Amino acid sequence: MTAAGGLEGGYRRLLRWYPPSYRGRHEDEILGVLMAAAQPGQRRPSARESLDLLWSALKIRIRMALRGADSQPWAAALALVGVLLPLLMLLLKLTEFLDRGAQYGFGSPADILIGAYGEPGAYAGSFQSNPHSVALTGNVTDALTAGPLPALILAVLACLGWRRAAAVCAAFVPLAYLGISLTNGYTLLAGPRGDVTLYAYGLEALVLLVAAGAAQGWRALRWQPSALLAAATVAAGAGMNGGFWPLFHVAPTAPTDVLQRAGRLANLPHGFIDRLFGIGAGGWEDWLLYQGTLVTVIAVALVTMLVSSPVNRRVLLLLAVPFALGAVIYLFSMISPPLPAPVGNTLAAVPLLLILLATMALSLGRRPRAGADNPGPAAPGDT
Amino acid sequence: MSSRPLREPTFLLLTALAEGPQHGYGIMTDVERISGGRVKLRAGTLYAALDRVVAEGLVEDDREEVVDGRLRRYYRLTPLGGDRLAAEAERLRQNAAVAAKRLKLRHRAIGGLP
Repeated sequence: MTAAGGLEGGYRRLLRWYPPSYRGRHEDEILGVLMAAAQPGQRRPSARESLDLLWSALKIRIRMALRGADSQPWAAALALVGVLLPLLMLLLKLTEFLDRGAQYGFGSPADILIGAYGEPGAYAGSFQSNPHSVALTGNVTDALTAGPLPALILAVLACLGWRRAAAVCAAFVPLAYLGISLTNGYTLLAGPRGDVTLYAYGLEALVLLVAAGAAQGWRALRWQPSALLAAATVAAGAGMNGGFWPLFHVAPTAPTDVLQRAGRLANLPHGFIDRLFGIGAGGWEDWLLYQGTLVTVIAVALVTMLVSSPVNRRVLLLLAVPFALGAVIYLFSMISPPLPAPVGNTLAAVPLLLILLATMALSLGRRPRAGADNPGPAAPGDT
Repeated sequence: MSSRPLREPTFLLLTALAEGPQHGYGIMTDVERISGGRVKLRAGTLYAALDRVVAEGLVEDDREEVVDGRLRRYYRLTPLGGDRLAAEAERLRQNAAVAAKRLKLRHRAIGGLP
C-alpha cells in the first residue's frame, strides 16, 4: 500500500504540471491508466514516465494556449486588443501632435507625415543637411514609426473589421522599417517611442491573425473602451518615458491643502502631455523620479483592472507587451554606455523578429484549419 | 477534412477505437497488440493524442464508469473519425499495393534475385 501510495503520490506530483482545467477533467483518469500500466512493485515513476508526462503536459499547455484564442475570454480580449491597439497608437500620435504643434507650430504636411511635430521645416531641412538618399530613407523610416499615417490607416482598417488588410498593414510597418534600416546601416536602437511603435504594430499583426473575433471591428469595444483606453494611455505613458510631473511638482504641504492642490492640478502647467509622454524629460534620475509615481499609479490601476474581469486581465497583458519591451530597451540604453551598433540593433530587432515569426508561424499553422471548409487539393486516397 | 496523412500513433489509436468504445488503458494495450508490440503509448503521450483527436472531432467521449473508486472514461470514434480512418487505411493500402507491385516488377527485372 505504501509502495502504491508513494507511486500514486509521485504520479500526482507530475500531473500537477498539466493545466488546472485539464487536470480537473482528466487527472483521475490518467492516474488510473498510469497505475494500471505500472510494473508490479514499482515504487516511483520511472524517468521515462516522468519525461513523457512532463513533455505531454507542455504540449497540452501550448495547445490550450493556442486554442485559447478560440476560447471566450481570450477571444474577447484579442478582439478588443485588435481594435484598441491601433486606436491607442493613434491617440498617442494625436496627443503628441496637438500638444507639440500647439506650442511650436505644426509645420508642413510633410513635417506632419514624418511625425516632426513642433519642428516646422524638419522635412525640408533634412534634405539640406543630408545627401538626398539619406534624407529620403530617413524620412520614410520616420514616417513609419513617428508619423501618424500608419496608425491612422491601421485604426481605420481595424475599426472597419477588415482583419486581413489590417494585419498586412500592421506587419508591413515593422518589416519595411527593419528592411530600410538594416540595408542603410541605421542604428535601430532609436528610442522607446519608435521601438514601442514597431513592437505594437508587430503585436497588432499577430493579434489580428490569431483573433477571429477581431473581425468584429469597433463592435468589439462595446462598453469597455473608456476604462481600457484610460488605463492603456497611462501604461503608454510609462512605456514612453512619461511622468506625472505636475502631480509630483506640487509640493506636499499640510493635508488641508488638498483643495488648493486639486486647484493647481486642474490648472495643469503647459506641456503636461509633453511630460506625460516623456518629451523633454530630464536625465534618468528625473525619469526614475517621475516613473516612481507613475509606476505606483499604474500598479493600482493594473490591480484594479486585474481583478475586474478575465478579459481585461488578458487585454492588459497583451497591451503591456510592446510597452514593456520598449521600456526595457529604454532603461537599458540609459544605464549602459553607448552600445556598438550591431549589439543595439540586435537588442531592438530580436523581440520584433520573434513577434513577426510567431505571426508567420500562426498564420501558416492556422491556414489548413481556416481553409478546412474549402475543397483543397486532396492527398491521394483521401477522398 | 484535413488531407494530411495521420501519424502512426494516431492511426493506431483510431484503429483501436474502430471496433467499439474503449477506455484509456484499453486503448494503450490494444495499440501495443495491433502494432505487434512495436508501438507502446505511454499515458502522457496517449492522453496528449486523445486531446488532439477529440479537438479535431475524430473521437468523442462515450461514457464514464467508476471502477475501484477510479473514474474510467470511454472514448468512441465519431463518424468523421471513421471516415478519416477509412480514408487513411485506403491510402496506406494503395501505397502498399504500389510498393508490392513494383517490388514484384523489380524482382522480375533483376532475374529473380531478391
